Amino acid sequence: MTLAPALSTLDSLKAGQSATVVQLAPHAQGGIDVQRRLMELGFVPGERIRVLKRVMKGPLAVKVGESTFALRRFEAALVSIKVD
Amino acid sequence: MGVMEQQVAGRTPLVALLGNPNCGKTALFNRLTGSRQKVANYAGVTIERKEGSFKSPAGRSFRVLDLPGAYSLNAQTPDEGITRDVVAGLRAGEQAPDAILCVVNATNLRLNLRLVLELKRLGLPMVLTLNMVDVARKRGIEIDTAKLSQELGMPVVETVAIQSGGEKALLAELDRMPFDASVKINPLSAIDAVSVEETQREVRRILAAAVSTTKDTGNLTEKVDNVVLHPVAGPIILAALMFLIFQAVFSWAGTPMDLIEAGVGALGEFVGDLLGEGLLHSLIVDGIIAGVGSVLVFLPQILILFFFILLLEDVGYLPRAAFLLDRIMGSVGLSGRAFLPLLSSFACAIPGVMAARTIQNPRDRLVTIMIAPLMTCSARLPVYALLIAAFIPDQTVAGFLNLQGVVLFILYMAGILSAMAVAWFMKRRSEFKQQALMLELPAYHWPQPGALFSGLWERAKIFLMRVGTLILTMMVLLWLLSSFPGAPEGATQPPIYYSVAGMIGRALEVILAPIGFNWQIAIALVPGMAAREVAVGALGTVYALSGGDEVGDLLAPMIAESWSMATGLALLAWYVYAPHCLPTLATVARETGSRKYAWIMAGYMFGLAYVAAFIVYRVTLAITGA
Repeated sequence: MTLAPALSTLDSLKAGQSATVVQLAPHAQGGIDVQRRLMELGFVPGERIRVLKRVMKGPLAVKVGESTFALRRFEAALVSIKVD
Repeated sequence: MGVMEQQVAGRTPLVALLGNPNCGKTALFNRLTGSRQKVANYAGVTIERKEGSFKSPAGRSFRVLDLPGAYSLNAQTPDEGITRDVVAGLRAGEQAPDAILCVVNATNLRLNLRLVLELKRLGLPMVLTLNMVDVARKRGIEIDTAKLSQELGMPVVETVAIQSGGEKALLAELDRMPFDASVKINPLSAIDAVSVEETQREVRRILAAAVSTTKDTGNLTEKVDNVVLHPVAGPIILAALMFLIFQAVFSWAGTPMDLIEAGVGALGEFVGDLLGEGLLHSLIVDGIIAGVGSVLVFLPQILILFFFILLLEDVGYLPRAAFLLDRIMGSVGLSGRAFLPLLSSFACAIPGVMAARTIQNPRDRLVTIMIAPLMTCSARLPVYALLIAAFIPDQTVAGFLNLQGVVLFILYMAGILSAMAVAWFMKRRSEFKQQALMLELPAYHWPQPGALFSGLWERAKIFLMRVGTLILTMMVLLWLLSSFPGAPEGATQPPIYYSVAGMIGRALEVILAPIGFNWQIAIALVPGMAAREVAVGALGTVYALSGGDEVGDLLAPMIAESWSMATGLALLAWYVYAPHCLPTLATVARETGSRKYAWIMAGYMFGLAYVAAFIVYRVTLAITGA
């Protein structure tokens, strides 16, 4: 029996850390389905992601597939991950 | 109409050009259509509609529509909404396309192919265009186009939109395409037949089958971003870039400005000698040549500013700046996305206000629109340049900085900080909710000199058109107002003092005296309402007429003579805030769908301008002891 890998959310990752997406929390705001758009951009369960940079108290630059997206903290918090 | 032409139900086939943002779609559109383009707006909205036409090697004609970039047909922005409606044939007054030309960035198929699969569900004939294949190859991405075509069930062609001839394969493919008017488009709900997650799995399956990465070249973009997005180095680079731009606007433009000035002066003298003395001489030399010349002289500065903005946009730096500034913008309740419209506003508030459409949240968008005119647009530059040259000594401070450049930088900062304060004030009164950012940071690429210069040429054309039409008209009108009625017998003041313009100016002087403006300035502010840069021409006209000096003489020394330092600085402060631009107010009314906001904008900006000019005037008086 090995310990299950730690589950957390994307906003807690440090710059340079990688993880795998587990699931996305539903979130709609001002007529925008944030959860769906994140999935359209590539944040789907099983996808490997990596945080490139973080701005202090600001957004994160996250690499997903071949693309890099800037996400605010609360958006990143919607993405549950399994840290490598 | 050629005989060879294949038509769809008796008309030229319409092809919709569609793809993700940053896929090189517009470059391909330009490559296909060359100069055969019509740019207008979609009915009822201010989103640009670009249509063009081209002929294939076999002589078939096509119409092509360049749709706004979209990540999905499940639209989240007004731009994406247009793309969705047009391609699904739901937009009134727009013909549904006969075929879709889907453009994908070959270096980023994983993101791009999802949209392709979604579009396919609409059931229209499609061709997939792999753009930027040259870059993909360099990075060791091998795409088996035959396999990809088989997997997707549509023709796939490779293009390099930035190279001449890079579109050949595509044209050949279009020639092979059967157009069938009986094709029925599926309802939009068809795109949801398969879940997003399922579609993404399908994308991965196709990629595994058709794409292999042979070598890992290392990602240059990531290496650059390591520095550019660095928590410490990033903001320093951003500030240095901004500062470099302002220094360049002042130092590089000197020589061409001198040349234009000398040219206008020579022209004035030449024409003046031809005409002899009289009313016509006065109109042409004092009114038109002096007025237009004093505006024309700022073309170099405007072009330098646009050059940098277009360059940073082309290279891919702008979204990075938005990323770095998101937290600061967020602190006053704006999105980092607001950075782009606000930066455009430094060139001109009109495209800036229009660019606010990329902000999804209506309230964020409104606040961004309301503060856009506080960014120092290029039309203010002529006024700033004139006043700085007149009142700020051209000397070096701190060893390497030009004091005039420093003052310009301060003026820009004043606009930015005020905008932040206004945004904060407007947001303070609404519930504060965080907006989603979801901003793509595309790969860097070398700028395309061709695209850059055509962009600059476009800007120069717009400026010269304005000089040629609006500004010229204002100048002639102002000359009329300033020349009639003439001075009475035994007048002690210059003739303009007694003219209609003089009367208006003197009436305004009562209101403007507390902030140190004399009647000459008051007169110049009247036509300056049409467009800010006109004010300089108007001052030129007022002084050429009232001082009787040679046209082409520099205005700067003249106003340095006749105004106090306090007046000059107060006018600078006034120009940071004053809403001296009717076209912008008209754009705001159109973009927000009501005149209310245009009036609010005019009101609050006039208020700010008056207060700022008053404070600056009084403080400077106290310091200079005048």
